[in-house]
Amino acid sequence: MLRDRSVASLIFEIVNYTLLSIIALLTLLPFVHVIAASFTTNAELATKTFVLIPTRYTLSAYKYIFSTDEVTRSLLVSIGITAVGTFVSMLLSCLMAYGLSRKDLYGRGVILFLVIFTMLFQAGMIPTFLVVKDLGMIDSYWSLIIPGAISAFNLIILKNFFQSLPEGLEESAKIDGCSDFGILFKIVIPLSLPAIATISLFYAVNYWNTYFNAILYLNDASKWPVQVILRQIVVLASGLDFNNSALTDTVPPPDQTVKMAVIVVATVPVLLVYPFLQKYFTKGALLGSIKG
Amino acid sequence: MDATMAVKPTTAVKTKPKRNVRNRILKNRYIYLMILPGLIYFVLFKYIPMVGLAISFEDFQPYRGMFGGPWVGFEYFHQLFTDPAFWMILKNTLILFGLNLLIFFPIPIVLALMLNEIKVQFFKRSVQTIIYIPYFMSWVIVVSITYVLLTTDDGIINGILVELGHQKINFLLSTSWFRPIYVLQNIWQGAGWGTIIYLAAITSIDPGLYEAAKMDGASRLRQIWHITLPAIRSVIVILLILKIGQVLDLGYEHVYLMLNSMNRSVAEIIDTYVYTAGLQEGQWSYSTAIGFFKSLIGLILVMGANWLAKKVGEEGVY
Amino acid sequence: MNGKCKRFLMSSFTVAVGVGVLTACSSTSSSTPGGQSGKPINLTIMADLKSPGTPGDTVIKQIEQKTGYNLTIQWVPDGNYDEKFNAAMATQSLPQAVFVKNTDSYSKLRDPIANGQFWEIGPYLKDFPNLSKLDPTVIQNTEVNGKIYGLYQEVALSRQGIIYRQDWLNKLGLQPPKTIDDLYKMLDAFTNNDPDGDGKKDTVGLTDRNDLVYGSFQTVSSYFGTPDNWGLQNGKLVPMFMSPQYMDTMNFMKKLYTNGVINQDFPVTSKVDQQNMLVNGKAGVYIGSITDVKNLNTKLRQVNPNGQLWVANRIAGPDGKDHGIWSVPGYGTVVLFPKSSIKDVNQLKQVLGFFDDLMKPDIYDLLAFGIEGTHYTLDNGTAKPVSDQALLDREVAPLGTISVGGISTIQGALQPYRTDPADIEANKLVLDNNKDLINDPTAPLDSKTNDQKGAQLKKIITDATYQYMINKLDANGFQAAVSQWQQQGGDQIISEFNDEYQKLKTK
Repeated sequence: MLRDRSVASLIFEIVNYTLLSIIALLTLLPFVHVIAASFTTNAELATKTFVLIPTRYTLSAYKYIFSTDEVTRSLLVSIGITAVGTFVSMLLSCLMAYGLSRKDLYGRGVILFLVIFTMLFQAGMIPTFLVVKDLGMIDSYWSLIIPGAISAFNLIILKNFFQSLPEGLEESAKIDGCSDFGILFKIVIPLSLPAIATISLFYAVNYWNTYFNAILYLNDASKWPVQVILRQIVVLASGLDFNNSALTDTVPPPDQTVKMAVIVVATVPVLLVYPFLQKYFTKGALLGSIKG
Repeated sequence: MDATMAVKPTTAVKTKPKRNVRNRILKNRYIYLMILPGLIYFVLFKYIPMVGLAISFEDFQPYRGMFGGPWVGFEYFHQLFTDPAFWMILKNTLILFGLNLLIFFPIPIVLALMLNEIKVQFFKRSVQTIIYIPYFMSWVIVVSITYVLLTTDDGIINGILVELGHQKINFLLSTSWFRPIYVLQNIWQGAGWGTIIYLAAITSIDPGLYEAAKMDGASRLRQIWHITLPAIRSVIVILLILKIGQVLDLGYEHVYLMLNSMNRSVAEIIDTYVYTAGLQEGQWSYSTAIGFFKSLIGLILVMGANWLAKKVGEEGVY
Repeated sequence: MNGKCKRFLMSSFTVAVGVGVLTACSSTSSSTPGGQSGKPINLTIMADLKSPGTPGDTVIKQIEQKTGYNLTIQWVPDGNYDEKFNAAMATQSLPQAVFVKNTDSYSKLRDPIANGQFWEIGPYLKDFPNLSKLDPTVIQNTEVNGKIYGLYQEVALSRQGIIYRQDWLNKLGLQPPKTIDDLYKMLDAFTNNDPDGDGKKDTVGLTDRNDLVYGSFQTVSSYFGTPDNWGLQNGKLVPMFMSPQYMDTMNFMKKLYTNGVINQDFPVTSKVDQQNMLVNGKAGVYIGSITDVKNLNTKLRQVNPNGQLWVANRIAGPDGKDHGIWSVPGYGTVVLFPKSSIKDVNQLKQVLGFFDDLMKPDIYDLLAFGIEGTHYTLDNGTAKPVSDQALLDREVAPLGTISVGGISTIQGALQPYRTDPADIEANKLVLDNNKDLINDPTAPLDSKTNDQKGAQLKKIITDATYQYMINKLDANGFQAAVSQWQQQGGDQIISEFNDEYQKLKTK
């Protein structure tokens, strides 16, 4: 009986490890291709469509990208927007999500419905532009943060996590003389770190990927975040023009290697965030802290 | 005197729930204070700009300003329902939505459960980090890599097929391959990213439960079924409802990049149609009307799903 | 919001009325072009960014010095240009001068232009020595309701032609193609006679892409004598796809597909993949813009130092006659002047003064080649670019999009320095094309239905054309698609264009 179980368990382990390894490989290979392509020559990239190990290494694509300070500056902008934006978003979202997680709140259902409603009926581009303009945020970095400060999706998820905390927690804290704000910041948030980490990651990635609002609201190109430049290069180098005009033949498109290099430059910083957040995803974090 | 006597009880009856409400609000005044910034945000950036939907009832042109065009009532909706392409587009949208929900949605859950069973921390963390990389590849890149893999002119997959003695398959020019490719691309790009939220939910499970189950001799699959899954059920339900609400968002850019003269009959969806009609042709009112219609479908689906969730004892999203 | 919007509308209304009054009053006031009053004039321009990055201010500084204007350029990435343009137009936030993305976008602006959103500039052009040199026929193509609103940016009338592997041709002992049959023979030989000499059948004749216009199709259609978009049949305008020559072209392409002498995925091939096939020696012929040859030759030689591309044109049709080559209306884009940011005629004249300056040869040279010594050196009266390609891409290349006019209207501008004989030949052929053009008769004509629905309807035809070429649709199926086009609005387009055409003829 016991042996049967361990054999079954062993098979489970083998299947599980093998499957996950294959999946990891399949997701990794295209990215390896992008990295390899960024370090090779255009000639090699033209002959071999899917390069995994370049035969000739060169840094010329990176030299080209960093020949001006434009990419460096835009990376700094993106880092700034992501840091400030994530903080603002988390603050607003935590406050609202905690409020909405309180089941005794009068009008809770209506507010939640109104929030969900905004996911379905989206605001038009032009009226949103008018609001941003009237608030004086054109050409300000705030235009990349404030108009998308709360995501209804993230808010609902966060509310759900807060709600799953043990019910008695708040009662006992209240008896100990904790205010509502105190409960949120001293008890609820520290006990929900996996959720906080998850939603922070969602927001951070969203801010990192911002490009359309930047194009819309920033007239000053020196304020562009890195995704605007990434997209510009990718769209030009892919030879795809969303509106299908092709009179632009006079200026040759950027090299494919440059396209790959700029993808690497714009992606790696955000990839580095996740491993740091992983420590909040340890099992039993919640229970451990309650017991402790 | 009699009159006042007669009046008093009724007012008392009337004011009682009111006072009750006022008390409930007063008691939670700080909670309302917490919600207030968020509420202001939603009003300012979501509800006020929603007046833009009004342009689906007027003959709008950008230069005339928001309400400068003549009102046309439901004319654009009439145009939509009589558009010969409409039923095809609606069908395509719903099919892709259904495929997303049936095939794509469960995969991150399975992946998260598989990852949760890994005991070697290094392996687990590495796999986690790797499988979420594709989320950062823009669709332009995903689609161009797909073409490199699938083309009949020296594509890798067709190369393998020929090696194995098969005929080449013309993936890119066929209508029947569009949907499988679309779903596979979605899975490749989003499945790893989707696990994050479930992994976060799994952390709240008491490890003691697994210990107890092991003592009882429950197999690994049984543990997953009886402990892990129930613990993340409410997250699954919430996400399911929210995803249903995103029947709208099949990824306009993704589909647009895959769309071509060969597969339009299966690949043209509401999102791509709105884009072409609105931006490329300046049919602002018409494209807004289509969007409005799409939102209505979304609303009905979400309300239905939420009702169903409550019916089976879940909390729902509102 | 409601109130706000109303207020916003009211204010734009008063502005419009005020502007009308001012225009009436100030029509006699003298022009004060920039640079002469001493104080620099602030000018903001919205421009299309078609390069990887913005140009910085090295060259801009020089232009500011020479013109006396204080420039701010709002660069907008090409991929989202129209979205930004529309949002800015709807919120009255356009700057004083705005470039339109391309001719398609321009046709969608006809309605706002006709409704007075932009200044009519026709009456003032004669006051400016350089702007008055713009080509009247091209200007006519940009007119809206017979009035001039924009300054155009010149493009070559036709860059279309054939690029092929000269070394393959020599190796197989063939002659450069002169007729459509020669072309087919060349494609066939490039596919089946092992032009790269590796003993394997791994090449294909033609590499084509998912674009009927700027890819191979429309150029090949010219060789068959198909009209350019619209043609005359019994004195009546009809779209090109209703002509028998269009059918001939489709049959030719279908033969290429069926016999495997064209890349089999051409209906979905991107421009990058298409060019890659030529560069990496998988294909030997590229039909489209022949000025691409310079760039393609450079890339080909990186892969194969012995590779040599050459260009050809004036291919005779099956009847042995040269039918000419299709052309564009002579402008790539126009610059417009919004009334929301230019308040009166004096201001308008100031802004126009800047663009008049841009057409001075020395300033045009700055936009086209950069600063002498830094970006180019003089070589026999031509501008020879410095070897630092990154520097040129960064500081000079983006500026081309803010020029007006072009080499045929600006006397005394520098010629580019060319070394690659194929590049020189290609540019000769582009000039030669000017003597052999097929024109689109609808270029100066206006059709409301076409502006609104034309692009959507065109998809029916594009899809059917591709499907016909790869044997997924027969001639009846194609005719059905054409009838569908007619029923859903095509007939209306035909009659609107014909009405306009009759009006123009009697004028």
